[in-house]
Amino acid sequence: MASLFPASSTRPRPRRPGDILLGLAGGLACVVTLLALGWVLWDLVRLGLPHLSVGFLTGEVVDSGRSGGIGPVLVSTLMILVFALAFVIPPGLGCAIWLSEMVRQGSGAARFVTGAVDLLASVPSIVFGLFGMSFFCQTLGLGFSILSGGLTLACMILPLLVRTTLSALQSLPADLRPAAAALGLAGATTIGKILLPAALPGILVGITLGVGRALAETAALIFTSGYATRWPVSPADSGRALSVHLYDLAMNIPNGGAAASASALVLLVLIALINATAAFLAARWHRHHLAS
Amino acid sequence: MNPTPTCSSCACGGLTLSGVSVRYRNFTAVHDVHLTIPDCGITALVGPSGCGKSSLLNAINRLTDLIPGCRVEGSILDGAGTELTDPGLDVLALRRRIGMVFQKPNPFPHSIRRNFEIPLREHGLARARVDEVMEKNLREVGLWDEVSSRLDESALKLSGGQQQRLCIARALALDPEVILFDEPCSALDPIASAVVEEHIDALRGRVTVVIVTHNLAQARRIADRVGVFWIRGGAGTIVEEGEVEAVFGGAGDEEARRYLAGGAG
Repeated sequence: MASLFPASSTRPRPRRPGDILLGLAGGLACVVTLLALGWVLWDLVRLGLPHLSVGFLTGEVVDSGRSGGIGPVLVSTLMILVFALAFVIPPGLGCAIWLSEMVRQGSGAARFVTGAVDLLASVPSIVFGLFGMSFFCQTLGLGFSILSGGLTLACMILPLLVRTTLSALQSLPADLRPAAAALGLAGATTIGKILLPAALPGILVGITLGVGRALAETAALIFTSGYATRWPVSPADSGRALSVHLYDLAMNIPNGGAAASASALVLLVLIALINATAAFLAARWHRHHLAS
Repeated sequence: MNPTPTCSSCACGGLTLSGVSVRYRNFTAVHDVHLTIPDCGITALVGPSGCGKSSLLNAINRLTDLIPGCRVEGSILDGAGTELTDPGLDVLALRRRIGMVFQKPNPFPHSIRRNFEIPLREHGLARARVDEVMEKNLREVGLWDEVSSRLDESALKLSGGQQQRLCIARALALDPEVILFDEPCSALDPIASAVVEEHIDALRGRVTVVIVTHNLAQARRIADRVGVFWIRGGAGTIVEEGEVEAVFGGAGDEEARRYLAGGAG
């Protein structure tokens, strides 16, 4: 019977020009990506590393940051971060659990809440800053404080955590739910002991992304946690986040460049450490719970 | 209505289904099923795909409650005369008494031990007794020697056949009166399938078994009674029911007879 296609052989033949071109273009794109990262890193290391020392990490901010260190800034940053996570995790997980497990998929209520979450995600961070200042600092009377900053950041990363937790829950095998129901497990047991632990790696990714965004955030914090460089004593104190310090050094302080580079390097290392920790925890969890 | 046959040697109960229909919104999946499931025996439900066998199983342990828009009509009585379709029934307690094993093995993505610990603790077993009950039931399905050294490893590392036996052991661990098997072997290779079948066969006389299967030879091998489903007027119903040899020997219903002889469906 005649073939539909022209006669062909399976002899080896030179690669097609289209394949070669695509391979080259892909390789080139990768090189550009690596160059961008390499350039940023090289610049920060070249300018910042000479300025970096144990004293820089622990010392007080002197002369608007031109000399001295970033000790109080680091402490404030970590305090803001801890408060942000403490305020975002309960409502973030709760909202995702409600959307995934308690309300019928595609119902009006589910679509409304999902739409609201997506809208919140598209709000620019400066708007969160203004909202935080007016609501947390003024209306609630928390003032320029680490607490106000943490609450504002929590609002900002809430949609991110809801979305990642929701997709982690929805990507679990669908047959876990009938399996649990058929064993007579209550809804709370199914969610708390089966679904949430199974979705943990995805939730960790969401928290890590949230931490990354929080650490990188400047606009939402200038108006809420302020820029005091004293050692913070309580959550009610104003405290300058690392990104705010960086912005100040780079934009407002003449001759602040070297300290800015060193601070940026610290910020980068901090984010890398947090990402690595989350990846390590997720991998360990995975080895323990799922097929290798 | 015939009284549900009872067995004096054990505590498991039979089931009596009268006029059971299962509807999903406007679609009737099962219409007017009458079926007597004897105490401690193995009852097989056979018939072509999509004629409501699984829907009927889900009505018995009330998994139908989880499907929005699904309604069950008629009466399902257990051995003690409790109406299982009663909306006020404690369905969690019911599902402890009427276990289920699904077509696709569905262990929780946690350790083998957690797969037992979570349901056993949920139903009030003391923590100190979890290991003992787990071991007893893993032995029951011939899995203990294969997994006793890795109880804290993920259940998902087991093979498909081992996972299915784990699911049977997990269902058995809750000391149920009835276990519903929904095509328990159809996702397994022939060797694993034979092992699982052997363990279902061994449940005879200890627990009431209802098994949906597409494997007619399997139904004939292990079942005491068989119900044949067919589509009648757009909905699935039982067209033939009785002792396995009587039904396979010559069903009264023409289509059922051809199906059982391998000629249709």
